[in-house]
Amino acid sequence: MKCFNCGRQLSEKDFCTSCGADVALYKKIIYTSNYFYNEGLEKAGVRDLSGAVISLRQSLKFNKNNVQARNLLGLVYYEMGEVVKGLSEWVISKNLQAEKNIADDYIDMIQQNPSRLETINQTIKKYNLALGYCQQDSLDLAVIQLKKVLSLNSRYVRAHQLLALLYMKAEEWDKAGRELDKCSRIDMCNTTTHRYRKEVDRMLEAAESARTKGTGKKKKAAEDVIKYQSGNETIIQPVNNREGKGVSVALNIGIGITIGVAAACFLILPAKQNTDTNMAQEELRIVSEQLDKKTGAIEELEQQIRQLTEENDGLKQDLSDYAGEDGKMEVVDGLLNAVSIYLETPENTERIGQALEKIDSQAVSQVESQYFKTLYQQLLTQAGPSVAESYYKNGMDAYQKEMYEDAIKELTKAAGYDPENGDIIYNLGNAYRQNGNRKEAIEAYSFVVENFPGTERARRSQSFLRELQENNEPR
Amino acid sequence: MINFEEELKKFHPSLEVEDAEDAIYNQDLTDVADVLVGMMKDVKAEAMGLE
Repeated sequence: MKCFNCGRQLSEKDFCTSCGADVALYKKIIYTSNYFYNEGLEKAGVRDLSGAVISLRQSLKFNKNNVQARNLLGLVYYEMGEVVKGLSEWVISKNLQAEKNIADDYIDMIQQNPSRLETINQTIKKYNLALGYCQQDSLDLAVIQLKKVLSLNSRYVRAHQLLALLYMKAEEWDKAGRELDKCSRIDMCNTTTHRYRKEVDRMLEAAESARTKGTGKKKKAAEDVIKYQSGNETIIQPVNNREGKGVSVALNIGIGITIGVAAACFLILPAKQNTDTNMAQEELRIVSEQLDKKTGAIEELEQQIRQLTEENDGLKQDLSDYAGEDGKMEVVDGLLNAVSIYLETPENTERIGQALEKIDSQAVSQVESQYFKTLYQQLLTQAGPSVAESYYKNGMDAYQKEMYEDAIKELTKAAGYDPENGDIIYNLGNAYRQNGNRKEAIEAYSFVVENFPGTERARRSQSFLRELQENNEPR
Repeated sequence: MINFEEELKKFHPSLEVEDAEDAIYNQDLTDVADVLVGMMKDVKAEAMGLE
């Protein structure tokens, strides 16, 4: 037991040894809560579930933190078919004590079985529907729904009681009695069950006594005869019995036949119709149950289809990542093509260059294979300078013909494959300058001045740089 | 003799799984221990006020 003020463990004293708070009354409250818990446990042990609910609720009124009482209350509710109430108690219990709490197992047990949870929900919905039918006076429909409810959850005490009440209303006392027996097997001391039981027993006794009176009359009739022995034969002769005349005999036979036909029409046929109706209702119930089960199975299968569709979409997405136009497979194919061309015709720098151009350098960085990257670098190292030379030559031809746009394109490609070549950068700067791209020209000349100092190219670049900066206008 | 209509009024709709969250949030969890602790705090506050 912990102090309500400071949360420390309490001793046998009537005050907290840590903060000094008076805990005498507090201790009594906790002990009372424990007393009611023990009482509830005892009642639950002998299947007095209603009594257990009362005791356990009392225990929680004294101490809401009595986790054991709350867990047991949840369990008792669950046993009585009140699953949501049970779940609520377990959830609160779990919030009060997160660790080492058996409520955790109970909640998991229900949550890990979605179909069970769905069945529970269906049961509750059908029960509520049946109650609605009762209120609308559709008692036959209510009986059908309640039978469905009890086929899904045979421990639902309230559903048994409501069904018994409906049978009582229909004066089907035997059926009502059977439902109440089932209630009593689940919850022995339920007041409502006992009240109904008393009424059913009273009505059954009345019916029994009526039957007994009928039998007595028959005995009396049997006594109105004279029995005597004649040799080996027993003669039974009615007292004051006179032989009827022929007309009265025929009349009696006619009345008998009429009564027989009337009995057949009014008693046997309705009974047969009733039997047929009951059989049809039973079949309807069975078909409804099968329908419910199959609906559940269909929902599960639809769920699986949704999951598989999502997985399929994910896999398609992965596949498109690998095989799409910007995908890794495209990059790998491009590199294999370039390597193939290089191995077949190493002197054909133009084709090698075209093949290398098709490889997306950004996509290359996304490929995780180390072998791929090594191969790509080796190809650039071995074929790069000759490819660059080819582009450089094309660029210079264009420059000579004063086609500066083309020259810039070719020289830029050449610089991409051989970035350390000063001639390429210098002439690229010239092409930019002639084309009027002042900023790019300054960058190219600056690169040459910084990376190739003391060379003729650096000196010329410096001269052009000065000229460009002084003019401050594109040529 | 049991009156069907009166008995029917004693049956109420069950809580559905979707309503469980509301039921948990709306449950009054005040217990006697809370009442006692509140009263003791009030008494203490009054005593301090008098001083």
